[in-house]
Amino acid sequence: MESMKRLSDHLATRVKELTRLREGGTKLIGYAPGGYMPEELVYACGAVPVGLIRGGDPEPVGESAAYVPRFMDTFCRAQIGYRMLGEEPLYQMLDLLIVPVTDHNIKTIADCFNFFAHDDVFRFGVPHQKDEHAFEYYLAGLHALREKLEGFTGNKIDDAHLREAITLCNRMRELLKEISLLRKSEQPPLAGYEFVKLNHASFIADKAVLIDALESVLQELKEKPPSGAYGPRVLLTGSTLAMGDYKVLEMTEAAGAYIVIEEFAEGMRHYWENVQPDGDLMEALADRYFRRRQPPAWFRPSRERLDYLIELARDFNVDGIIWYQLLYRSSYDIQSFYFEKMVKEQLGIPMLKVQSDYDVSEKGPLRTRIETFIEIMKAGRRG
Amino acid sequence: MRVNIKNTITAGVDVGAATAKTVIVTDGKILSHAVIPTGDSVARAAEKVTAAALEEAGLSMPDLGFVISTGYGRNGVAFANKAVTEIICHAKGVNFLIPAARTVIDIGGQDSKVIGVREDGNVSDFVMNDKCAAGTGRFLEVMADVLGLDIEEMGPVSLTSKEPCLISSTCTIFAETEMVSLRAEGRTREDLVAGIHRAVASRVAVMGRTVGYREQVVFTGGVAKNIGVKNALESGIGLPILIPEEPQIIGALGAALLARNELS
Repeated sequence: MESMKRLSDHLATRVKELTRLREGGTKLIGYAPGGYMPEELVYACGAVPVGLIRGGDPEPVGESAAYVPRFMDTFCRAQIGYRMLGEEPLYQMLDLLIVPVTDHNIKTIADCFNFFAHDDVFRFGVPHQKDEHAFEYYLAGLHALREKLEGFTGNKIDDAHLREAITLCNRMRELLKEISLLRKSEQPPLAGYEFVKLNHASFIADKAVLIDALESVLQELKEKPPSGAYGPRVLLTGSTLAMGDYKVLEMTEAAGAYIVIEEFAEGMRHYWENVQPDGDLMEALADRYFRRRQPPAWFRPSRERLDYLIELARDFNVDGIIWYQLLYRSSYDIQSFYFEKMVKEQLGIPMLKVQSDYDVSEKGPLRTRIETFIEIMKAGRRG
Repeated sequence: MRVNIKNTITAGVDVGAATAKTVIVTDGKILSHAVIPTGDSVARAAEKVTAAALEEAGLSMPDLGFVISTGYGRNGVAFANKAVTEIICHAKGVNFLIPAARTVIDIGGQDSKVIGVREDGNVSDFVMNDKCAAGTGRFLEVMADVLGLDIEEMGPVSLTSKEPCLISSTCTIFAETEMVSLRAEGRTREDLVAGIHRAVASRVAVMGRTVGYREQVVFTGGVAKNIGVKNALESGIGLPILIPEEPQIIGALGAALLARNELS
């Protein structure tokens, strides 16, 4: 598709563009993903947000061994590795890193960027239980973040700018969601792999360029004739789906299945809900990023997220679920054990759990698992 | 290779981590089979082992109507018409030989698997260990080497053990250390080998619980030739285990049978 090409051309020159902006005095603000950092606040103070979502390469994971213990989430170790190796330009040009602290893995990114690379880091807490105190606590975190950003950039965040930023981000989310939902069709007009690339681009691309490209993509997809190809439909979920870590998507779709929805912070959590800009705008942000966040914020009680996933699987009419887990992200790992039981009992479809440490040696066995799983789904459809 | 529809002779080629196997079948009958070490080249091993099987059956390459490759090297077999994972092929092969089979334990050179098999020979569920050598044929090879035993001797040797050693490490390196100290304590070769078999069996027995062990349980792969591991597995899962006559060629057999389906 022509518009997708335009977007990837934009991404290819994005580092250059960001360097120029930065030389002109614009602040680049990086943030750790997880879905708790409202980009709106960054835009509203005239800065540019950059999501740290790169992953899948073995070298940074190896490099991280000099800074953190091995028994930590692979993705988080990779973030530290990218920063310390110095080969990934986006990781070297941040003026400030924002880390909403959800667990010790994410917190360690903040600590290492700060301690070993001397980066300016701002942390705020994400509550583990969802209740009214929790909402107030999260909101207080956003207020502290706002103060930090205002002080850091010297620009006051007023309602007019914030509202404008909300409109911009809402439009992006709306488009991503509409494109994503096209995959509810029996013959999805785009592969999961293609959609994920669009979604990942939204963490880095210029929002105006992105929205323009997404509008054309949507139009092109709506006009696209059905392919006539049918394959098993897969819900992909797990801990982290990083930019560049496309092996599961590639192998699954190469074997003839469709990934129709991705439940990750770097998947649907990024675009599913919009901010409703009525009343106090800070509260509206907290409402979207914490209270109404889908699937439910954090997972205590765990059941909320798992029940949500079951409904999602029904809604997208999937034939199977792939749980893609990074090594040592135990909060997710623990969930996978009872989720598999729930899937069997409530949906009667198969689930495949695969783990990765971003290691090259994983590919062969991973392919064997995925291909077998797809055969099981196909046999399930026939019989 | 072009598909020869007229021909009902098909082959399955299983290129595993340690050995390559080819089975040739025609309409529900095994014509021949061959097994060779995989060596340094998947492509060469596949060609050589298939040539050997063809020769035994008095056939040549153009006689094959369809070829399916399987195993780790499945995508490196140029003359195959299709590649299918070894999990699917093992289920199919076992289902053909032992229709009552509902669970397959496959322990090969590099990994181990527990596979749930449906009545129709399709896979219902599976679990696979490939992160390390624990619970694989490689683990046994390393231990045999430490003890100066031939891999084939291990099974029979272990049968005379009165009190198998307890080897608690599942890591090959740590288990080796553990065995070296047990040997220093003066434990007999028989008890050491029996302990090693138990370590492999308990690792696999626990791994397969997510799939569940349903009768009839069938044991395949090169390690199934080891009677000691078989006995340890039976006590580990609490069910009797059947071993096909040639446990090493089941994947290739399944592939050959699936190839036959492709023609009809």
